[in-house]
Amino acid sequence: MDFTLTDDQQAVAAAIEQIAEDFGSTPTEAHGFALVSNALDEALTEAGFFDIAAVPELGPVTAAVAVEQLARLPWTTEIALSMLVGPQLDGDWARPFAVIENGRPSRFAASAKTWIVIDGDQVSIGPASDAVEPVESLFAYPMARLTQAPGFAALPDDQARTIRRLLRVALAAEVAGLMQGAIDSTVEHLSVRKQFGRPLGSFQALRHRMAECAVLAGGVRHLALKAAWSGDDGDAALAALHAQDSATRLIYDVHQMLGAMGMTLEHPLHLWTYRMKALLSEQGGRGGQAVEVARHCFAA
Amino acid sequence: MEFAWTAEQQQFRETVRAFLAEHLPEDWESQAHGPGSEHQTAFSKLFCARLAEAGLLVPHWPEEWGGRNLDAWSAFILAEEMWMAGEPRGGQYMNVNWIGPTLMRYGSPEQQARYIPPMAAGQSLWCQGFSEPEAGSDLASLRTRAERDGDLYRVNGQKVWTSYAGEADTCFLLARTDASKRGISIFLLPMDTPGITVRQIPSVIGEGDIHEVFFDDVELPASARLGEEGQAWDIVRAALALERVGIPRFALASKTLHRAVARLKAEGRFGHGAVEQAARAHAACEAARLYSYQIIDQRHQGLSTGAEANAARYATVNAERAVGEFVVEHIPEALAGGETMLLAHHQRAIVAGIASGAAEIQLNLIATNLLELPREPR
Ligand SMILES: Cc1cc2nc3c(=O)[nH]c(=O)nc-3n(C[C@H](O)[C@H](O)[C@H](O)COP(=O)(O)OP(=O)(O)OC[C@H]3O[C@@H](n4cnc5c(N)ncnc54)[C@H](O)[C@@H]3O)c2cc1C
Repeated sequence: MDFTLTDDQQAVAAAIEQIAEDFGSTPTEAHGFALVSNALDEALTEAGFFDIAAVPELGPVTAAVAVEQLARLPWTTEIALSMLVGPQLDGDWARPFAVIENGRPSRFAASAKTWIVIDGDQVSIGPASDAVEPVESLFAYPMARLTQAPGFAALPDDQARTIRRLLRVALAAEVAGLMQGAIDSTVEHLSVRKQFGRPLGSFQALRHRMAECAVLAGGVRHLALKAAWSGDDGDAALAALHAQDSATRLIYDVHQMLGAMGMTLEHPLHLWTYRMKALLSEQGGRGGQAVEVARHCFAA
Repeated sequence: MEFAWTAEQQQFRETVRAFLAEHLPEDWESQAHGPGSEHQTAFSKLFCARLAEAGLLVPHWPEEWGGRNLDAWSAFILAEEMWMAGEPRGGQYMNVNWIGPTLMRYGSPEQQARYIPPMAAGQSLWCQGFSEPEAGSDLASLRTRAERDGDLYRVNGQKVWTSYAGEADTCFLLARTDASKRGISIFLLPMDTPGITVRQIPSVIGEGDIHEVFFDDVELPASARLGEEGQAWDIVRAALALERVGIPRFALASKTLHRAVARLKAEGRFGHGAVEQAARAHAACEAARLYSYQIIDQRHQGLSTGAEANAARYATVNAERAVGEFVVEHIPEALAGGETMLLAHHQRAIVAGIASGAAEIQLNLIATNLLELPREPR
């Protein structure tokens, strides 16, 4: 049991921090619902960071640390699936990835090179085609829907199970960073914004709710890293469940604290909260995670 | 980053488990043993003596004091196994965790020679005289006075919620030695000193757990003071840092949850609602576990633990609450003549957000020290 990063892991985290610095501030000119950066994608590709899960000295836990770090940024690109799912798949699939779950609009579906398709109990994977159209959305990712079912062959159960596990870990790691990003942004607001002659952040009713959010975010991060490390189905389901549960609670709290400002596109809060909202329903939502937890953690 | 136990750590856990299997009575789990009851205290003296013989009472203490110099992980693994087994050490866990180490650091040679060996032999029981009727979370407002009179101090006042006081031989007492806010000192007070009255407080948390303690012109020699006058705050801060993640509550919460789920399954009662609630409670337990391990890791590396320890405490309160609520909703008979183990967990879980620093106080500290939010005006 050791919570410190190894030297190799630390070096990666530091290098990612360096890249992140260039993408840490929101543009002053108006931006839409999503904030996607090709430059961020290129910087991560160039440094080889999408492959770290497959590097023996680094492994999935390092990739999860990186996903969490990068999810804190206002700018995004398809990161979590590329870092945590792609390198651990059987076969060579080109990134970016998108998950098409039960025919719903999906994040990054239009720009993805590989689609992972989930239909009820079946999972399949294959190359993306141009049978896809963008959809207008509040979610802070580019969303698109397929115009016809791709008809990939269903994967055998063991492979399907692995993919579901990897998706859950990716979800949890990303949510951990999104929660932290939303907390940091809200804390900044609460420290500056004054009402009744004092900073909002000095009112205990708000301090306590923020502290509870911080505890939840830390818990999600712990569970995500553990699940990335262990490769255990139960751990992955626990992490995803805690992520969706905690995010649901946090999204409400942080929006309350921003007041009307949180409703605007001028303030970046929506970038984190609406990314989280996109993730709340994935992998069956909380009910789906709970069934998985029961299957793997409460066996006999 | 590594989430596995080392072979030695696993071996150590096995050793502790084997000891428990050998030395706990067969019907241990089905007995109701109030944490500070006469029966529990007597049992703990037998049990802790055997633990001491096996080198498992204070393994993380220095050899000089009967320990084996084992690391913080061993101490925590030991604590997990003991807590999951219903804490057969009773109140002696406090000696092991923080009273002994505090005396090693701050005690006079006479105090150390008098008090540490009986702790290491499993023969002494202490109580912690901090809280008072007017001083709970705001501990610094305590009023119990210790007035200097030549070579003596004379103590007057009252403590409350004092665990184990009915059976304890010594009290780790906080008393005011001058009127300033920080003018508080620590005294090591034998409980058989004339002028002390102890009354048990009937409660829902088990026999012998909490008491009122009255001090009526209690005289004790100046040599009973621990550290300097006015030094209590520094010493208590160091001691409580050991106690904040002292009890591995998540371990019993998790065991209880699994026990409850197994029972519901066996009875065909593990339906939809229960599945979701149980899964959430399990996630809360595992989050608390990892938070706690992170703090132990810091302790192991000799780093000081900051507001993350408060976050670990709060995560633990969440876990205790989730499991406690799960059992009450799905196995209500646990509180009505049902399985003793589930009842015992309930009685321990409901205090998690209050004892040793209320949950809301943890949130205050997290807001100030972890999030660095502006402070509340005073
Ligand atoms: C089982 C058990 C065993 C105990 N054993 C011991 C023992 O052995 N020795 C000992 O000295 N004490 C012991 N205690 C006492 C314990 O330390 C106190 O209960 C604890 O510090 C809280 O104090 P209080 O109960 O007076 O609650 P209060 O301080 O009155 O608090 C009541 C409520 O108000 C909240 N509150 C208080 N101040 C603030 C604030 N500033 N901001 C926001 N909310 C606030 C609290 O969080 C809590 O929710 C024990 C308690 C229990 C339950």
